[in-house]
Amino acid sequence: MSDAAQRANSKARLRARLKVRKYAVAASSALRERTAYRGSFLGSAIAYGLFVFVFSRIWASAYSDRTDIDGYGHVQMVWYFIVAELSSFAFSGSFWSLARDMKSGDVAYLVSRPYSFVFYSYAQGMGRAVANCMVLLLEGAVLGLLTVGPPPAVSPGQAFGVLVAMVLAGSVYFLLNLALAMTSFWVEENAAFYWIFQKLALIVGTLIPIELLPAKAQIVAWWTPFPSMSYVPARLFSAWPGDAGAGELLAYQAAWVAFSALLCHCVYALGRDKLTVNGG
Amino acid sequence: MNQAAPADRDERVARNRASDTSNGGGVSIFDCPAHVKHAHRGKRGSEMSAISVHNLSKSFRAKVRAEGLGASLKALARPSYRVIDAVKDVSFEVEAGEVVAFLGPNGAGKSTTIKMLTGILRPSSGAVSVLGLDPSKQRSELARQIGAVFGQRSQLWYHLPPSDSFRLLGAVYEIEPKVLERRKGELIERFDIGPYMDVPVRKLSLGERIRCEIAASLLHEPRMLFLDEPTIGLDLVVRREVRALLAEIARCDGTTVFITSHDVGDIERICKRAIIINHGQVVVDESMKVLRHRSLSRKYIGVKYASSVNLEFGDIKPVKSTDTAASYVVDTNEHRLEEVLRALVGRGELEDLTVEDEGLEDIIARIYCTQRVRA
Amino acid sequence: MNRIKAYARFLGASFAVNVQAVVEYRANFLAQVFGMMLNNAAFALFWGVLIGKVGSVGGYGFSDVMLIWALVSTSFGLAHVIFGNVRSIGQIVQKGELDLYLLQPKDVFLNVLCSRTVVSAWGDFLYGYVVLALLPGFGTEPGLHIERFVMFSLLSISGAAVFASVFAAAESLCFFLGDATGVADAITEFLLSFSLYPEKIFGEGMRWVFYTVIPSGFIAFVPLAAIKVLDWSLIPILALVAAVYAAASYGFFRLGLRRYESGNQMSSRI
Repeated sequence: MSDAAQRANSKARLRARLKVRKYAVAASSALRERTAYRGSFLGSAIAYGLFVFVFSRIWASAYSDRTDIDGYGHVQMVWYFIVAELSSFAFSGSFWSLARDMKSGDVAYLVSRPYSFVFYSYAQGMGRAVANCMVLLLEGAVLGLLTVGPPPAVSPGQAFGVLVAMVLAGSVYFLLNLALAMTSFWVEENAAFYWIFQKLALIVGTLIPIELLPAKAQIVAWWTPFPSMSYVPARLFSAWPGDAGAGELLAYQAAWVAFSALLCHCVYALGRDKLTVNGG
Repeated sequence: MNQAAPADRDERVARNRASDTSNGGGVSIFDCPAHVKHAHRGKRGSEMSAISVHNLSKSFRAKVRAEGLGASLKALARPSYRVIDAVKDVSFEVEAGEVVAFLGPNGAGKSTTIKMLTGILRPSSGAVSVLGLDPSKQRSELARQIGAVFGQRSQLWYHLPPSDSFRLLGAVYEIEPKVLERRKGELIERFDIGPYMDVPVRKLSLGERIRCEIAASLLHEPRMLFLDEPTIGLDLVVRREVRALLAEIARCDGTTVFITSHDVGDIERICKRAIIINHGQVVVDESMKVLRHRSLSRKYIGVKYASSVNLEFGDIKPVKSTDTAASYVVDTNEHRLEEVLRALVGRGELEDLTVEDEGLEDIIARIYCTQRVRA
Repeated sequence: MNRIKAYARFLGASFAVNVQAVVEYRANFLAQVFGMMLNNAAFALFWGVLIGKVGSVGGYGFSDVMLIWALVSTSFGLAHVIFGNVRSIGQIVQKGELDLYLLQPKDVFLNVLCSRTVVSAWGDFLYGYVVLALLPGFGTEPGLHIERFVMFSLLSISGAAVFASVFAAAESLCFFLGDATGVADAITEFLLSFSLYPEKIFGEGMRWVFYTVIPSGFIAFVPLAAIKVLDWSLIPILALVAAVYAAASYGFFRLGLRRYESGNQMSSRI
């Protein structure tokens, strides 16, 4: 390689590294902020713990005269619930703070910064969620062990799969939250959209596994992003569907991540034009 | 509600401004509303003081915040406190119908004292009597007879029009419906808030809001009015309007007015007496006249000459100077004014000469900085 | 007598102002109602699916679960409609806004509680009645329906009183602990969570909690038993219990108020 080419090459690599660093720093600072702000997360942590406890009792009662419901045993069902609820609680409040930023016009300043708004928000949001998740996982694990005992055994490979699924699930959850929050560019009162989204997420895969829904509803459910947000990681953890099945589910999730990211970019591009025209 | 014609309003405001109460009650072209004249003066009856404070003191225990992890842990198990003497041995008397300014820098003990006067806080020691009642023991009874306006906090419901808040206040103060209606009408006319009565408070400007606020505080015809920073955040024009209103209330209703403010203009226009508190103790308690004349000995002299002169003489040096102009601060206890002026005039061709008293603001600022207790 | 009349007038005026606030914010109100309906529908679906599969949970059938949601919703709503500030006392004290109430010649506790209404709570309040109307009645006599509505209303009143008492007491902790919003929120979560699920799924050890510090028993379980068979003998008992909770809550607030008046709980008020 010629001297000039080498220099150009290393310059490009440096730029790429700096770019990545930008987002990494955003994520880690959000992480640190979260761990410092323990107080404000307390409400969600308590609610999560309560929820897990109450539902473990409901399932205990449901399983009092049987051992299987649609393929899930008692222990599996409770651990399903513990993992499925993670995404909603890890991201609690993220829609509202995002929407508030949009409406307050703070976004207008961010638009002019030299990085992708969507990726920056994503890095921040995920950083925050990871911090929350650590607390919630600990809580869930303790409660699970106390109520039904240890979860079904997972091999290291399977555990890795679950981890990937959780990251993908969180990504879909956050990106869709972001897209919804960005509707603030056009609609003042978008709380209703968020509620619809949240409650559907609750019913489709969070409170109960997809398998328990009526047959027709299941078919429709697979065409929505909700299974990728809670069902997939919970299912992989509590009832591993075999390596092929797992692969399919992860691919399904990845597709939804891509879709959500694309959606965000499009909404953002449309919204940014509106911002610069109207001034926020 | 009737829409007050703009011309009438302007005229009214102009007449209000013309009545300068800082003259100490000279003839004003704007007379008191007929129904209001000296409403409370006749009620003096037993001739007792409106406010009577003897050796009032208040101390707080505040947790000492620990620095560092080790100290924090220790503090958790055995917290340590320090005692804050917010108010130390304060005494004063206020007669019915007086208009008193209550001043002091931040942290002086102003708010604490007012809270003890209104019954919000219980004193550590000493005696307080307001309108013959013990504020902390007979708070409810006292509440019926006092009104309060806090500049930063509102009694009016934020999202609703003032008329609804008035109705609720009528119920709170047990004002009979007929009396309430009459009173409301009087206040609306007097404060010129007719156009705003049906507009949600959040949509009113700050000036409009404070007028409604003051009107609301007078609904139950209180014998005493406490005001805490009533003109804070208001622009100049509105400030003058509010001061005129308060001055009128003070003058015509016979209501005792107790006002805390950082704004010297408020004090000058409305009050006849000033109590200054600092470090928890009363440092000044005298009439505005005396206060203003406190530093009559200090004169600010400004001169401007046609051409360059020597601006120093004797031990008098200018505070500020250019080639041809200078300002001096002269203590007439040390240098006779006549001699100073004669010297200045003789220096050269005078183009301009100003001689001013120390402003009230400066007087008060100096008092705030004094460490001495009593003048 | 005069004092009672004065207070009646005061509460009436307070309530009227609260209603006007709702009218002023009707768009917000409708949005909140919509959100609440969605939330309840999601859980109703969950229970429908689950009970469809396992028959009953903790002895509760589907209509039992719906009735409990109705009772809790209306009680909770009523508490926040009339005593809208019941979960804001802590904030009011921290921000120093309590002083304004102390300056008015009315009981501070009542004044603070009544001087606000929560717009969304009106939706919660109505939801229970809607569910009650839609649930299949037992028997077809119209008299029974009216009886059920009246009993439901009385149960909701006592439930609201218990709710308000517990929330106010939790918020009053701020007089003693400074910023106690975390604790107060936790208590709210606990109370709601336990009231909406079948009593029997919780072990015997927990059951005593439901009749003391987290009185789901008096808000949900006992009222459910009462309304299922229209047992009127439980009403006076519940009324008495509600009065006890209210008195305790009032007393606790007064204790806190005395502390507030001594000024020792905060150092930043000078």
